[in-house]
Amino acid sequence: MDMTTYALIVLGVMVLFYAGAKLLKLSTEISMFIAAAAGCVAGGFGFSARHIAEGAMTYLDINLIFITATLFMNILKESGGVAFVVRGMFRRFRRQRAILLVLLTILLLIPGALTGAGSVTVLIAGGMVSTVLLGLGVPKVKTAAIVFIVAGLSAAAPPISLWAMMTAAGVNMPYVGFFWPLMLPCLVAGLLTMFILGWRGAPADLERALEELPVPPAGMNWLKIILPFVVFLGLIVVGRTWPHETVVTGLPLMFLCAALTSYVLSPQKMDLFQISQKTIEQLLPLLGTLTCVGILVQIMTLTGVRGLLAVTTVTLPVALVFATLFIILPVSEAVLMWGAAPVIGVPLILLFNTMGLNPIVALAGMSIIWPLGDALPPTAIIGRLTVDVTGYQGSYGQFLKACLIPAVIMMIIGTLMVVYSKQLGFLTGL
Amino acid sequence: MKASIRKLGFSIAGLVLLVVSGLSFYESRHLKEPVVLSDGVTQVMKLSKYFPDIEGTANDCNIYVLEGKEPGATLCILGGTHPEEPAGRLAAWLFAENGVMMKGRLIVVLSANRSATTVTRVGGAYPPDFIIPSPWGGQTFRLGDRWSNPLDQWPDPEVYIHYPSGQYLAYLDSRNLNRCWPGRPNGTLTEKTAYAFLEMIKKEKVDVVIDLHEAELQYPVISTIVTHEKGQELAAVVSMTLTDLEGFKMGLEFSPKNLHGLSHREIGDYSDAISLLFEAPEPFLDATRGKTTTDQLLTGKDEFVVKAGKHGLLFEKIDEKGWPIDVRVGRHTSAILQTMASWTEVHPERPLLCDNVPRYAEVIEKGIGKFLQDPAHGKPGRVLFE
Repeated sequence: MDMTTYALIVLGVMVLFYAGAKLLKLSTEISMFIAAAAGCVAGGFGFSARHIAEGAMTYLDINLIFITATLFMNILKESGGVAFVVRGMFRRFRRQRAILLVLLTILLLIPGALTGAGSVTVLIAGGMVSTVLLGLGVPKVKTAAIVFIVAGLSAAAPPISLWAMMTAAGVNMPYVGFFWPLMLPCLVAGLLTMFILGWRGAPADLERALEELPVPPAGMNWLKIILPFVVFLGLIVVGRTWPHETVVTGLPLMFLCAALTSYVLSPQKMDLFQISQKTIEQLLPLLGTLTCVGILVQIMTLTGVRGLLAVTTVTLPVALVFATLFIILPVSEAVLMWGAAPVIGVPLILLFNTMGLNPIVALAGMSIIWPLGDALPPTAIIGRLTVDVTGYQGSYGQFLKACLIPAVIMMIIGTLMVVYSKQLGFLTGL
Repeated sequence: MKASIRKLGFSIAGLVLLVVSGLSFYESRHLKEPVVLSDGVTQVMKLSKYFPDIEGTANDCNIYVLEGKEPGATLCILGGTHPEEPAGRLAAWLFAENGVMMKGRLIVVLSANRSATTVTRVGGAYPPDFIIPSPWGGQTFRLGDRWSNPLDQWPDPEVYIHYPSGQYLAYLDSRNLNRCWPGRPNGTLTEKTAYAFLEMIKKEKVDVVIDLHEAELQYPVISTIVTHEKGQELAAVVSMTLTDLEGFKMGLEFSPKNLHGLSHREIGDYSDAISLLFEAPEPFLDATRGKTTTDQLLTGKDEFVVKAGKHGLLFEKIDEKGWPIDVRVGRHTSAILQTMASWTEVHPERPLLCDNVPRYAEVIEKGIGKFLQDPAHGKPGRVLFE
């Protein structure tokens, strides 16, 4: 049997088992695990404990970043810090809509940018930002769309962009030079989304909206909010300024230091154990997904399925690749979640690199499009989470419709960044 | 109750997975690779001799010295900088098990980053080891990875900043020996390893260092010598002679001055030695490869990589014959022997001459296994382990 037939059979078995598991209403991560195990057996490798365990460790470091960054964000929220910021912004700028919308965009971008997870943005800031937007008279469906789109962009924004990190790791490319290629489009698309969907709206009862926002505990102030970020950024700056005189801490420990600072500075007593427990419960589906993506990718690599997808992708007509990026990327994200990065992103970047495009800018462009898949079935985790958190009770289809204009903007920006990546290479600063 | 049973079931399944996979990882980390010393090996030392801080770590590797019958220059072969590129280690192995220096001195390292030999790449689906068949059965080698084992060096920094240039590199490369040169005494394990080797190169007054590698066919630096400017003349002669006389193409590239951490740049800059790096083609490393098996590793045959080649996506040719390990190892042994010969032509007063190591054609004809010695028949005290 030739390699193509063999890999196609294994791929077919994996797809069948994945679809079967989804039909049985099993979660995405369990479905991926079942698909991987079935592919391993179908490929003639039996149930390889070594490969499954090794694959599960692929994103261990990223999972640790995820956990510690989210713990930091959760402590900040529980201490009343997020409520203090949102309330402060709303009180000061509630009659200056443009400034308030800019600040809300930045506020929504921060949690996901630091953690790499749009779901963290939704959970940490989504609820309070939606209260403010509703207070400004923005319809609920548009409010939900704003939170979802900007949360997706926050996940793509630097410093932690999991799609870019995972794809870069897959092609042995340093995760360096991504800051501006990711930051600029995320900011532009985020602001456009906020202004297109949030500019119009009959001003509702601003005072009532202010009342609805959670009241921060007495003793909370800007210093207590900023200091943990200063600790985090300070550790990065120290590590970069004196790299050879500083102990290597790694991002997880840096986030942990920021989290502990926030905990110590909190004006109200908090149960650290309970917050940690809540953080893990909150992240479990995402940690499970990343773990199972690692297993799936390992088995796809073992059986040649990854090679099949890679060689098929890199030998496609380039015009076709460009023209279908806006479909391929969101759909792959909807099916595989972050697994889309190593499975689809890696061969695409190899292709772009071979074509002489700038792989960093191209990957950044792709990273802007990927988050759109988080609203699409079968997974739609972040889309559904957003709908829950913002309290939107209309049809899911209407929610998707409200996301359409910013989604098209993101697709256009992302695709143009890929096509013109060479010309935009200066953004990398390399 | 039902939920508790389900949790118990998952916990037991997880435990079984942990034990079974753990045993496999333990075995490959502790697999002993025998080295039957050639009669030409006059001394075996530890790397820690040159930098005591490395003692007791995974990277305190063996250093095999082959003192010539006549004096001459000193050449050092670094195998195993990237263990997942096995032709480098195997070529060095042939020198340690067969080589006899007639003139000059040879220093052989089989596991330059020994820590990296004890781990396989997460997500890469590498086999833990591979067997080279031999007339006496066969020898098992650890496959290893490109980076030091995280069990020996962790966590990675947020970004890896090379010492002393300050160049930013991927955080993973803080565990890549070929991004850590010239190293530093108070650095990470990988940086200390590079530092220890540089101390060795200086103290032993090494004239030429050859770092053996392999590369994916999608990588532009392939089937070539990368040389520091100090070695341009030597490398050019070696490249031309190999292409003319041995029947395989060997390119020549110059070490970029602003690309730091690599052996071909930093060894040349921070010691008196000429630093060269040899690359052979290894389709196993290509991202478009098919099944990830030892067969693919050793035959270098891969339909998908061939397809990529037909679309002009590769920097080295490949057909259905693949790139067998014998061909890749033979390229390295011939290139090393030719380096000695070309050096001697320019420096007749300080010659280098090694006997008993097969060249390209002979390795292909007889296979590597023919030149691996049977540890069961090794002389007492002449069998060591990597």
